Amino acid sequence: MKEWYEKIRSANSVEDLENIRIAIFGKKGILAEQFEKMKAVLNEEKASFAKELNTHKGELTSLFNEQKIILQTKELQEAMKAEALDVSLYSTTSRKGALHPVMETMDRIVEYFSSMNFSVETGPMVEDDFHNFEALNLPKYHPARDMQDTFYFKDEMLLRTHTSPVQIRTMLHTKPPIRMIAPGAVFRRDYDLTHTPMFHQVEGLLVDDAGKVSFANLKYILEDFLKYMFGEVEVRFRPSFFPFTEPSAEVDISCIFCHGEGCRVCSHTGWLEVLGCGIVDPNVFKAVEYEDVSGYAFGLGVERFAMLIHHIGDLRSLFEGDVRLLEQFQ
Amino acid sequence: MIVTKSWLNEFISIEDKSCDELCKTLNSIGLEVDRVVEYKIPNKIVFGHVVECEKHPDAEKLNVCKVDIGTSIRQIVCGAANVRKGLHVAVATVGAIMPNGLKIKPVKLRGVESEGMICSATELGLVNIGEGIMELDSSIGEFKLGQELSENEYLQDTLIEIELTANRGDCLSIYGVARDLCAAYSRPLKKIDDAQDIDRRMGIGRVLQLSHTDGLNVNLRYKAVDVKEIKLPFIITLRLAQIEEKQKSDLDSVLFYSTYTTGVILRAYDYNFFKDGEEVDKKAKISLSVDSLGYATIYAKDKPASIVGIKQCENSKMSSSEGLVILEASYIPPHIISKQMAENKIENGPLFYRTSRGSEPKLNIGLNYFIGLFEKFSESDIYGGNIELCDQYEGVVVSISIDDINSIIGAKIDKTTITKILQNLGFDIGKSQGNSFVVSVPRYRHDIANKQDIVEEIVRLVGIDNIPSKPFTLKEKNPLSDGYFQFKKLRKYRNSAAAQGFFETVHFVFNEKVKLKEYGFTCIDESLELLNPIVNTLDTMRPTLMLGLLNAASSNIKSGYKDVRLFEIGTVFSTSRTESAKMAFIYSGDSSKDGILNSGKSKKMDFGTFVQLVSNVIGDIDLVKNEPVHSLANPYQSAKILLDGMEIGELYKLHPVVQDEFDLDETFICEIDFDKLSFNLVEVKAYSKYQASFRDLSVLVPNSLNYKDIQNVISENKTEEIVRFYPVDKYEDEKLGENASLTIRFVLQSLTKTLEDEDITSTMDTVLNALNEKLGLTLR
Repeated sequence: MKEWYEKIRSANSVEDLENIRIAIFGKKGILAEQFEKMKAVLNEEKASFAKELNTHKGELTSLFNEQKIILQTKELQEAMKAEALDVSLYSTTSRKGALHPVMETMDRIVEYFSSMNFSVETGPMVEDDFHNFEALNLPKYHPARDMQDTFYFKDEMLLRTHTSPVQIRTMLHTKPPIRMIAPGAVFRRDYDLTHTPMFHQVEGLLVDDAGKVSFANLKYILEDFLKYMFGEVEVRFRPSFFPFTEPSAEVDISCIFCHGEGCRVCSHTGWLEVLGCGIVDPNVFKAVEYEDVSGYAFGLGVERFAMLIHHIGDLRSLFEGDVRLLEQFQ
Repeated sequence: MIVTKSWLNEFISIEDKSCDELCKTLNSIGLEVDRVVEYKIPNKIVFGHVVECEKHPDAEKLNVCKVDIGTSIRQIVCGAANVRKGLHVAVATVGAIMPNGLKIKPVKLRGVESEGMICSATELGLVNIGEGIMELDSSIGEFKLGQELSENEYLQDTLIEIELTANRGDCLSIYGVARDLCAAYSRPLKKIDDAQDIDRRMGIGRVLQLSHTDGLNVNLRYKAVDVKEIKLPFIITLRLAQIEEKQKSDLDSVLFYSTYTTGVILRAYDYNFFKDGEEVDKKAKISLSVDSLGYATIYAKDKPASIVGIKQCENSKMSSSEGLVILEASYIPPHIISKQMAENKIENGPLFYRTSRGSEPKLNIGLNYFIGLFEKFSESDIYGGNIELCDQYEGVVVSISIDDINSIIGAKIDKTTITKILQNLGFDIGKSQGNSFVVSVPRYRHDIANKQDIVEEIVRLVGIDNIPSKPFTLKEKNPLSDGYFQFKKLRKYRNSAAAQGFFETVHFVFNEKVKLKEYGFTCIDESLELLNPIVNTLDTMRPTLMLGLLNAASSNIKSGYKDVRLFEIGTVFSTSRTESAKMAFIYSGDSSKDGILNSGKSKKMDFGTFVQLVSNVIGDIDLVKNEPVHSLANPYQSAKILLDGMEIGELYKLHPVVQDEFDLDETFICEIDFDKLSFNLVEVKAYSKYQASFRDLSVLVPNSLNYKDIQNVISENKTEEIVRFYPVDKYEDEKLGENASLTIRFVLQSLTKTLEDEDITSTMDTVLNALNEKLGLTLR
């Protein structure tokens, strides 16, 4: 009997152990053989013989179970080890795509103004003279309407030169109060290093009761907005001129590259021009037949924001679907 | 508009203001500073006087000069062609370090000692005023020999370029900018002296006569000058170079300089152009009337001499450097010429920009300034008196209240401050009633017509930085418009596309008509076409996003990418030019990265994988065979895309011919009507708690039969226990002949119980019977 304990202990695979199990516990195994022998054992010896045999059976079973677990564990470890990988081979680069920096910048702008309770409005790209010029206090002989700047169609329609016509459309179909932004593509007939015939703007308009909307309100939201977009920057307002606002201002931020020291990007002035804004000109309200209202408006170029924020040097690269640029935004 | 500090100083005392302060003020009053140049003349450059000048004994082009520099006389060899005895010059003395780094040392030039250098303007880091050394004179103020040049405010000056907004015609002159600065600094404007009419001069009436028709909106004033020996002062030469406006003749220089300084439009005519006949005693006759297009025109008999505010005719100009000249100052309101030019555009001259923006209406300022210069720097005789024509002008009057002003600005600015600002700006404050008052606008402020214009003046002189920011208090109003949901929908699909590996692109909405037609697309109707495209390759509005994507894919492959995955959501235009939004995808090249996973050999993109990617973005889709209308598609791998049974777009493999044309690898394209994609809230359907079973059915299918037909029959005849079915294998073999074996997998699940074998069998039998009955299909 003793030798079988040794055999179980020295089994070195689950398969080996299974053969031993059959040899011990099988129908023709040694235990069965021993129990067979019991028939020939004297009656008075039968009890002790059986007891001894059962003890052996019990001990062999538990030894077998123990050994089985040991061997199974060992074999699993070996199987896993055989599949060991050099994980460093699998370092990888992403196959994600990415959103376009201009669109992504526009999204951020829309999110800001949405959260400030502005509605998002849209309008057509093909516009008429009234919405694009006339109603915005750009009378027929205004220099900004020169053929050089505007794309015209043969039927006297035109491609909007700014997103401002959306203001007019919104005012014509809703009643004040109005708080809206109009993001979208606009078109000017200009194509060189710093101009593309199509670019994107976001326009903002707020209209409320007469005497309620002030320049101080405009200053507040734009200062807050520019800090949201560019981080901690200084914001400066300079009086300027736009036909559809009066008073008008251009808004500068302290240069984000040199922090006001003066560099190539800010033409050594320490400031970057980023926005135009003002109090809505009474002639604009007259054109949409609004009475007893006051309002402010502002407009910005999305490409300029995107280029400044992401340090993009070449405007035209934004319209070429160039993956060398786009993949950096993954 | 370029100004210099010394030039402004003629009209406002700003000696005490630093360059930074000056720029800050200009910016804050709305005169945007674009460029600043501070001229810095090095030390040891002094005023000198050439007392002797002789040819160098040994060098053709050199002169040996004796130069008095106050303390001593130095011998200096000079190579400039214009050096001569008697000149006042700039002398770099020994020890001076020139802007280019050259150190002045005593040297021998071809054997002659030289102690210093006589300088040109460029050698001192000033503007280029032409060849040779500077010929200095008293026009830059009195100076002592030996005095440092850097002490002279005209030379050591500051140049500031201002980017004027279109409304500020009044600042198109040094005088105008100074006038605005006077308001900002509360300092007086130095007036231009009236020219003294000395008795001995002959009156202008003796030589000139003006006739005109009525109702002309122009102001004219004439003087006559017998021009003799103009000696152009150094300061004019220097400043015209600083503002990059060199003129052809000395007379033109003085004229332009006077216009630039004062803002008054000045012209000079040859007296003989107007003279009627040769007789000495005959007067010159100027007649003024309206030409056929409505422009006020100056004539000599019937020859036009100039069009007021637009241009001067070349033949009426003074061609010789001496002789009798008629000097004209003119003014025409800018809105009149802008309107005329908009209606009948004609060629215009160099001063047109000024007149169209509004030139200075006080004509005597310009004339007096010009005469003042002429008296100082020439020997000319000036005729007494002048001949003039004045228009009828009613001033602009605006009534406004302090409350109006403060509610627009959003800050409390007191009445004293407001009236002081307006008075400083030259506005007349009329009667005031309580907080309201009436303001008369000076004529040179063409931009001011209403209350808000007045407020703008207050805002810019108070300084926007001094207005405290204030949040707006709003009435509650739901801002979630259609536009907002459109934005959210765009965001959703754009993010999905990026997550599937596509890069977002933005292309111009313009396309090339010839190319579009070549590929079989229809462009917008000819009668609605672009009138003035910017280039041939962008001469129509795009009907599709696909060409833009193809071009982009092609250039990316050329820059070394083995696969290109792009998408765009953008506007396209129908033949009637109606705008709609499309979403398009392109995938070109390898289906995955090459690397350790595929032993460096990636498979090419294939139809099925591309469809899966698109579907991952836009949802469950059905594909049916498509006959493409354009020639970009390979007709044998071309599909219509159905979403919930509705056709939403197309998907195809690029035609091999086009593929070669764009130098692309295997390429797949998909374009969808973005508006047809859904953006609805999800409604959850009941789902089963019981186990699902799978059954495969293999049927013999003729090769001519589309899977779509099988799909339809199953859909129409299946029981509700079949929750899904899809093809998993198509096996073709010679033994099967014209047929193929198609295996379809069915997923069966009941909402009410675990399905038994007999349930499943009977369900599958129903399907099989239907396929057999409707399409004649049998089990393989």
